[in-house]
Amino acid sequence: MDLIKSLFVSASGLKAQNGRMRIIAENVANADSTGRTPGEDPYRRKIATFKSHFDKEVGGEMVQLGKLSEDTTPFEVRYEPGHPAADEKGYVKAPNVNTLVETVDMREAQRSYEANLNVIEATRRMVQKTIDILRA
Amino acid sequence: MVNRMALTDLPVFQALKSKMQWHQTRQGVLAENIANADTPKYRAKELKSYAFSDHIGASSFGIEAEVTKAGHISGTISASSKGKLDKQNMFETTPSGNNVVLEEQMMKVTENQMDFQAASTLYSKSLGLIRTALSKSA
Repeated sequence: MDLIKSLFVSASGLKAQNGRMRIIAENVANADSTGRTPGEDPYRRKIATFKSHFDKEVGGEMVQLGKLSEDTTPFEVRYEPGHPAADEKGYVKAPNVNTLVETVDMREAQRSYEANLNVIEATRRMVQKTIDILRA
Repeated sequence: MVNRMALTDLPVFQALKSKMQWHQTRQGVLAENIANADTPKYRAKELKSYAFSDHIGASSFGIEAEVTKAGHISGTISASSKGKLDKQNMFETTPSGNNVVLEEQMMKVTENQMDFQAASTLYSKSLGLIRTALSKSA
C-alpha cells in the first residue's frame, strides 16, 4: 500500500462519518415529528452502523456505512388532547429522539472526522517530503 | 557477473529507502485504524517495529567497477553479501488485540510523519553529499 492508497482509506473514513452525521441531522431535525392522525407512530430514531470491508484495489480495510437500524426504545407519550395525533385518552406519542444523545453522537462523529482529516494532512506532508527529494 | 549499480543502490540510500517504505506501509495501517475507529469488532493493527537488520536483507551493496579486459582489477569497495532484498510486503502486521484508541493512533500518525520526514531529509542530504563530490567548485 502506498501513501496515496492510505489517502483512500482515510477518505472512506470521512465518507462514513459524513453519512453518520447525515443520520444524526435527520434525527435532530425530526426530534419533534409526531404523527398526524390519531394513534400514528411518530418518527423513529435511526442509528448508523459501520462495517469494515477489505478493498482489493486499495489493499486495505476500508470503512463504510452498514445497514441503518432503527432505535427500538419505546416512544415517550405526552398528554396533549388537542393534538391531531392524540389518541382517545389524549396522549400523543413523541419520537424517541434524545437531543442530548444526538449532540454527544455528533461530537463523536466530528472528532472522528477530524482524526481522518489529520491523517490525510499527515500523509499529504509525507508525499510532499518525498517530492522534495527531487527538488533538493 | 557484472554488477551494475544505480546511484540509489548505495547502502545509505538503500537503508533510507527501506525505512521510508516502512513508514509508508505504517501510514496505511494507521489510516485503516483511524478510518475504522468506530467500526464494531475492529481490532487496531500495528506494524512490526522497524528492525534495521530485518529489512536490509542486503542485496549486493558493494560497488564494483566493470571489468572489460583480463587483468583489470575489480574495484570492489565493499564485499557484497549475496542476499535477497524483500519487496514491499516484507512488513507483517500484527494485531495488537486492542480496540482503536483515537488519541494513541493520532500520536502514532504524527510520530510516523516526523520519522518519515527525518528519513527523507537525510535522503536529500545524502544526495547533496554526492552532488558535492561531483561538483567542481565544492
